[in-house]
Amino acid sequence: MGNTDGSDWLRLVVGLVIVLAFSQLNALFLVWLERKVAGHIQLRPGPKEVGPFGILQTIIDGIKLVGKELITPATTDRKLFPIAPVLVFMPVLVGFLVLPFSPELIIRDMNVGLLLIFAFSTFSVLAILTGGWASNNKYALLGAVRSVAQNVAYEIPLLLAVMSVVLMVNSLQFSQIVEAQSRVWFIFLQPVAGIIFLICATAETNRAPFDIPEAESELVAGFHTEYSGMRFGLFFLAEYTNMFIVSAVATSLFFGGWNGPFGFSLGIPGIIWFLLKTYFLIFVIMWVRWTFPRLRFDQLMNFSWKVMIPLSLANLMVTAIVVKLV
Amino acid sequence: MAEQFKEPVVDRVYTLNLGPQHPSTHGVLRVLLDLDGEFIVKADPVIGYGHRGHEKMGENRTYKQFLPNASRMDYLSGLLYNHGFVLAVEKLAGIEVPERARYIRTVCAELNRISSHLLWFGTYVMDLGGFTPFLYAFDDRENILDILDRVSGSRLTYSYCRFGGVCNDVDAQFVDMTRAFVKRLRSRFPDYDNLVTKNVIFIHRTRGVGVITAEQAREFGVTGPNLRACGIPYDMRRIEPYEIYDRFDFEVPIGSNGDALDRYHVRLQEMEQSCRIIEQALDKMPGGPFWNEAAAFKVRPPKGEIYFGFESARGQTGYYLVSDGSQCPYRCHIRVPSYGNLHVLTEVLRGTMVADAISILGSIDVVIPEIDR
Amino acid sequence: MATRDVMAEKLRSVLGDNAVCVDDKYGAGVFVAATAPAARLLEVLGLFKETGFYLETMTALDFQDTQEIVYHLNCYEPLSRMSVRVLVEHGAAAPTASGVFTAANWLEREVREFHGIQFDGHPDPRNLLLPEDADYHPLKKDFGKVHAYRTREEIYG
Repeated sequence: MGNTDGSDWLRLVVGLVIVLAFSQLNALFLVWLERKVAGHIQLRPGPKEVGPFGILQTIIDGIKLVGKELITPATTDRKLFPIAPVLVFMPVLVGFLVLPFSPELIIRDMNVGLLLIFAFSTFSVLAILTGGWASNNKYALLGAVRSVAQNVAYEIPLLLAVMSVVLMVNSLQFSQIVEAQSRVWFIFLQPVAGIIFLICATAETNRAPFDIPEAESELVAGFHTEYSGMRFGLFFLAEYTNMFIVSAVATSLFFGGWNGPFGFSLGIPGIIWFLLKTYFLIFVIMWVRWTFPRLRFDQLMNFSWKVMIPLSLANLMVTAIVVKLV
Repeated sequence: MAEQFKEPVVDRVYTLNLGPQHPSTHGVLRVLLDLDGEFIVKADPVIGYGHRGHEKMGENRTYKQFLPNASRMDYLSGLLYNHGFVLAVEKLAGIEVPERARYIRTVCAELNRISSHLLWFGTYVMDLGGFTPFLYAFDDRENILDILDRVSGSRLTYSYCRFGGVCNDVDAQFVDMTRAFVKRLRSRFPDYDNLVTKNVIFIHRTRGVGVITAEQAREFGVTGPNLRACGIPYDMRRIEPYEIYDRFDFEVPIGSNGDALDRYHVRLQEMEQSCRIIEQALDKMPGGPFWNEAAAFKVRPPKGEIYFGFESARGQTGYYLVSDGSQCPYRCHIRVPSYGNLHVLTEVLRGTMVADAISILGSIDVVIPEIDR
Repeated sequence: MATRDVMAEKLRSVLGDNAVCVDDKYGAGVFVAATAPAARLLEVLGLFKETGFYLETMTALDFQDTQEIVYHLNCYEPLSRMSVRVLVEHGAAAPTASGVFTAANWLEREVREFHGIQFDGHPDPRNLLLPEDADYHPLKKDFGKVHAYRTREEIYG
């Protein structure tokens, strides 16, 4: 008992350190990727100067951001204002603990892994509301309120889509869900659920076309208007890390996780497959951002309540019937 | 104790300041919005942040000295304003203009109109959240700016049209570049269609949004594409033909509903019609002199006045010049289309949502500096 | 019969033949130039409104002996612009047209702040372009740099 406990704790600590390092590197990489993708879609090259292909650009920008003054407006809530960025970032980190990078590389293969991720992602809603309220700024409050409504509305179809997969596997444990896809990926068995998940994931991470809460052209910067320096950097980091988490979850649930196509690993280790698929999904999310204009807020809400939820409910029903019959 | 709770504790309506510094107000516009949740109860535009006193300058400068001022009022259709002012003074003073100059001025004016509409297109879709068409539109617009830069020396504010003609002649390369540009723009229209016009999200953001009825348009003096989207075919190039527009075959696109989507379609089609005018003008351009410089040496119009109205990119612009026989105008009043276009928003914005306000503001295509003068 | 001819007839009947000048050749950019006394201004503008005209612009001219407000109206048919001129003494007020054409609301605010002509009954007499606390009238000929200050006779004689 003592031995397993000790190695468990060690595993946890080492895992946390790796997660922290990985999330920073990942965020750096994603910011660079976003700027390159945006650039090429817009007929321009994106960052080129700093480092080969502009790779070091994000590091330099990060250094600049850290060096900026943390301006706290006088009328903000003294206690809540600095806490909000931290509140946004912490739950996202926890999600890394259960992601199935490969059969051996799961920090904690909990039997409620999926539940953990979604429970903690709901935390970020609270954090956004805190940030918007503490800013004492009408624009920020509008952005925060919209964000909360949007997040709540799109979590329901998200979870319903996930439930369809869980119904098929009978488990909330990530390693079991991925192992169940060793022959056929669930995207082929549950295409509707997959698409619903991707759409809702885009909405959960406040990405375009669902980026009303931070709509630059309408609300200046939405709920993080009043934040400067590294506090703003934390919001930013949290968004990109969140994007990674939802893509990783989508990969695990629908695209086979660490499995190669149709079970052929082609000699490539599982973690490489996992990362490849995750980053491809992230690329698709970015692609969508730079292509479409954004939805108006009531259209966004209508879309969720009147289209997404009935669709995911119907999908769940059909899945339940099929599972019962088969 | 019960008394103090009879009064409403919170006032439902709050004021939001769509401030002068805002990514979407085109120029320095401030709109004081009274909001009830997301809905606008009252919209009060506050303008004047860009007032530079052009009309006062008009009274203290000679007609020639006022030429640069004209472009700077609406800098996006600078050449059209420059053109209009020159035409107004030529009519007042009776200055003859050679044929070649007329064709050159028409080509350049239509190029300017296209560049203004391209910029509007890019910024409008950007306001709605689609960042990419902005760069495509600016890429096309660079071609126009290069062409006009070659002949006039400026990229944005032109004094190319002078009294009696234009100050530089155009050469064969200008004609080639313009034809190449028209061809390229025509090949881009399907791209814009696929990316924006047929995009479901875009259509949802613009259909039925910001409807201006024909009665409202008449009440507020709305002109230009906004009026044409309501179904009224009022284009100064047809109503009061000036220069040589009566020689060209072009259509005046109109809409039917007066909503943002119709305004969008009208402007896109206008770009196509401008391409047609440019092609016809290039085909028919005669040789000969390009500037009647001698006649315009001393511009001293006889006593009297003139109101000259022409079609700029935003609507009908008018120069009202009162001459006292000297070298300076006695009164130089400019009627700007964005005046009425912005004014109508006080009624149109009532009852809409804040996100729609941005869409409507963008679709109206106001340039605040021309209101401020 | 074109709307402009209809309007010209109406103007003649209301203001008399002397005050209405028709220019077929559109030399000054207007088809009809009419002069109206301030008392009948609203009646005349009302006629324009019901005949389908819109208020294009409104401006004022400053002379040594008087001030003059010029309204330009137009309809959606070719070559139909009309101008209505009203003479207003220095310091006198004119009736507001914002009840007839809503466009006059802002136009009169601008004329008031630049020329100092007050409009009786205007619902919102704030400054439009100038700062709220501006108490000067820039376009008057006794403000700032002025090239010429003439009487009305000298120009329109």
